[in-house]
Amino acid sequence: MAEQGDQTFRVKVGPAENPVTLEVHPAAGDLPPWDLDSRLRTVKGRHPRLEAPQKVTGRAKYTYDVQLPGMLWAKMVRAPIPAGKIVRIDTTKAEQLKGVKAVWTTDAKLVRFAGQDIAAVAAVSQEIAADAARLVDVQYEATPFVTSLEEAMAANAPLVYAEGQAPAPPNAPRKGNVSGPLPPPMLGGARGGTRGDIEKGFAEAESIHEATYRVRVHTHAVLETHGIVATWEGDRLTVYTSTQGVFMVRAALAETFGLPRNRVRVISEHMGGGFGSKLSPSAVGSAFAIVACRLAKKAGAPVKLMLDRHEEQLCTGNAPGALMTVRLGAKRDGTLTAIHYRAYTEGGIGQSARTGAPAGSMYAQCPNVKLEEYDVFTNAGPTCALRAPGHPQGAFGFECAMDELAHRLGMDPLEFRRKNDTHPFRKAYYDVGAKAIGWERRNRVPGGTPGPKKGGIGMAHGNWYVLVREAVAAEVQVHRDGSVELFHGAQDIGTGIRTALAVIAAEELGLRPADITVHVGDTRFPPGPTSGGSVTTNSSGPAARLAAHEARMRIAALAAPLLNAKPEALEFADGRIFVAANPERQVSFREAAQKMQGEVVASLADRKRQFEAVRQDLAATQFAEVEVDVETGVIRVLKMVGVNNCGTPINLLTVENQMIGAQIQGASWALFERRTLDRNVGSMVNPNLEAYKILGPADMFEAVPIFTEGANAGNNTSATGMAEPVFVPTLAAIANAVFNATGVRLRQLPMTSDRVLAALAESTKGGKS
Amino acid sequence: MAKRPPDDGSDVLRVSRRTFLKTVGVGAAATGLVGAVPGPAQAEILGPDAIPLALKLNGATRTILVEPRVTLLRALRNHLGLTGAKEVCERGACGGCTVLFDGEPICACLMLAVDAAGHEITTVEGLGTPEKLSPVQAAFVECDAMQCGYCTPGFVVASTALLNKHPNPSLDEIKAGLAGNLCRCGTYSRIFAAVQKAAEQRG
Repeated sequence: MAEQGDQTFRVKVGPAENPVTLEVHPAAGDLPPWDLDSRLRTVKGRHPRLEAPQKVTGRAKYTYDVQLPGMLWAKMVRAPIPAGKIVRIDTTKAEQLKGVKAVWTTDAKLVRFAGQDIAAVAAVSQEIAADAARLVDVQYEATPFVTSLEEAMAANAPLVYAEGQAPAPPNAPRKGNVSGPLPPPMLGGARGGTRGDIEKGFAEAESIHEATYRVRVHTHAVLETHGIVATWEGDRLTVYTSTQGVFMVRAALAETFGLPRNRVRVISEHMGGGFGSKLSPSAVGSAFAIVACRLAKKAGAPVKLMLDRHEEQLCTGNAPGALMTVRLGAKRDGTLTAIHYRAYTEGGIGQSARTGAPAGSMYAQCPNVKLEEYDVFTNAGPTCALRAPGHPQGAFGFECAMDELAHRLGMDPLEFRRKNDTHPFRKAYYDVGAKAIGWERRNRVPGGTPGPKKGGIGMAHGNWYVLVREAVAAEVQVHRDGSVELFHGAQDIGTGIRTALAVIAAEELGLRPADITVHVGDTRFPPGPTSGGSVTTNSSGPAARLAAHEARMRIAALAAPLLNAKPEALEFADGRIFVAANPERQVSFREAAQKMQGEVVASLADRKRQFEAVRQDLAATQFAEVEVDVETGVIRVLKMVGVNNCGTPINLLTVENQMIGAQIQGASWALFERRTLDRNVGSMVNPNLEAYKILGPADMFEAVPIFTEGANAGNNTSATGMAEPVFVPTLAAIANAVFNATGVRLRQLPMTSDRVLAALAESTKGGKS
Repeated sequence: MAKRPPDDGSDVLRVSRRTFLKTVGVGAAATGLVGAVPGPAQAEILGPDAIPLALKLNGATRTILVEPRVTLLRALRNHLGLTGAKEVCERGACGGCTVLFDGEPICACLMLAVDAAGHEITTVEGLGTPEKLSPVQAAFVECDAMQCGYCTPGFVVASTALLNKHPNPSLDEIKAGLAGNLCRCGTYSRIFAAVQKAAEQRG
């Protein structure tokens, strides 16, 4: 880990109420990391995002908005059946339609899910492209299929993949559609997976809880559908695409078309949401980007191919459903002695996300843990990453089980968790969260509220990791007139990375964020990370800080003779450069810049290697207050309090926004969202935004985001990611609040009113909770 | 909630999807500029080829050549270069394409462009510019009432319509007034705060 030339710094980091001094060893040339003692002028402030004026006036150009001269519209044809052989694709009629310029057909012989790519057409208008797509005549020979997780696990279920064809890890056992137990996962395993001896742990337990939990498939439902505009000039390919990784798309297109990468340019100036679904060059269940490039080449014209809402719901990925059996053992005083977590996840035709990490790593001191994870294939659209892949599902099963065990032990569920918790950041969350939600107001006896509308409060924990892409760089240009530009190839997926980079550069240069024009989302800029896994701010930010710092040193060298001081004696603030010991001696940033030779000072900096941090695993806690109408079965979330720590919050305004977003997306999954497949015909019943219900303004609750004060080191900004951890516990927190409200445990999501009423009826009948 | 064009009994030419489908069956085509001459309309047969159409858009009259089957949303986006209104769900479920139709918020994906002739259409671009934001737009910026920003134009237009009708809305009135719009990033509470702030600033 340590390399020659490493530096040594001692920094004050960790949670502010219980800081630690950490010795860190950044690579040569890196900067001393910001820590709890750093006096920061701009970072940790509240800065409106730089591109907001473009977004609120409709001027921000997304891929869907790109229009090029002579541009054609493409439309894809998708398989309507979930399994079968493709006998014949006849595009004659489509090609004969006036206005059609090119067609594409698949080489695939088999259909494995309803929504698979079959053909595509490019035509002079969006309407004619749709007409032409309807004229493509495809003959299929249908074969048996299975769309439900439970049915796919049966011994006689139709096989989604023949022997040796499934996309499973090569060393995983395979039985029918079930692959597993899977080898230890990439994430979480190293941070606390299977360990100890659960038989011994359960023998030591004085109380044991076991139950089965079920989460349904959630689709990303991004508002800007996946799509691309592709244009060729000779052998140069330029594409505009709605993606979480412009460099990832470029690498894939260059390889597909046998082009050197310097002939391919990928642009994503603004993009309308990804949540993990835009981490493929096209999408996980479609090759639309490559198809569009082929059509453009064939037609000799730019081609725009945007999926429609129906397609978006079918083939661009989803979060897998999961069937989880959790068995927990504890001593009477609440000490956890054993965790056994077994899960079957439904990946459709793809490989599922792993769900075991919350159970395996959140209560790291539990000595006996066994994780068993299985993938189940179904004839449905493939799963892909979604905001902490697998973790919200796993945390739902595990943190609901923790709540049930607390109830069985007669312990306060918060105190039960606190007893088993060693995470230094999370230790601060209990009291601050309990105070903000009013934990003391919860029902001592679940279901204790009189009347038909029953209030309840619950909580749950979630986890994620410090993930980083180190091979990124940023460039800061200071112009002779004192204006500043920053170039970096990351794309802004809605998290506000443009503004975060401006805040960081402004801190170094003593300017305001709005003084810096930031350019992102283009492979012409220095490399940025693919934005997935909460990596962007802590990958890109340190590079921006280094580039801005180098620019600062060069401007300081210009200012020094004007102030009769050494460059290192100068400070930058409020657009001025002054002598630290005598602030009266000052010049403006602009005056100093005017002394440069030439027109621009350009500073390019590579991000340096990640170094020691307080924690490599991130913790978040969610508190929820609900009201359940036991006559109608309707659950309303009234309030959510999220507590999180992201090291140094670069821009509190946008960071809090992401936390609220995680609460809303989680509540939406817990209460409403369910991809529904027709088991008789195998197609999706609700491939839209009205029957696939997502949480809307009328369902909205009071959202409270809390960031505890802290710094995590690891890079020169001491920031970590944060979008994922706080999403993870949300489903469980709401389910636990519903239990506190009603005294009845709902172990299936979404908690729609029919399920609530059925569970209430069952509890009065059987007399159990 | 459901944003349908008001049935105001106005006498300009209206062609529903259904009448259109009937009329194309007849196979005749119309000439003349739709919307240019307001007045009592006959059951005129239009299309299927492109016809000239005049739209009163953001205070100016714009003329385009468009097939009668083209929705107002696609006319705005593909024929007039106004891409602020977004094509998201294509069936009136999300409000991403909200525009003002004689001051009322409607989903532009549910209306044919020819049916908009003679009416005042205001898009998000007509409410303000980055240099001169409307009070609602300025409040959205200040409150950070967006993430990816894709739903933002629809929310800005719907919020403007709400405040025109209820200058001082309660939180419940805001939720009801915006109930036809969806945001996937999850910025509703920021949007509500922005509407409240804009209400204060508009006085």
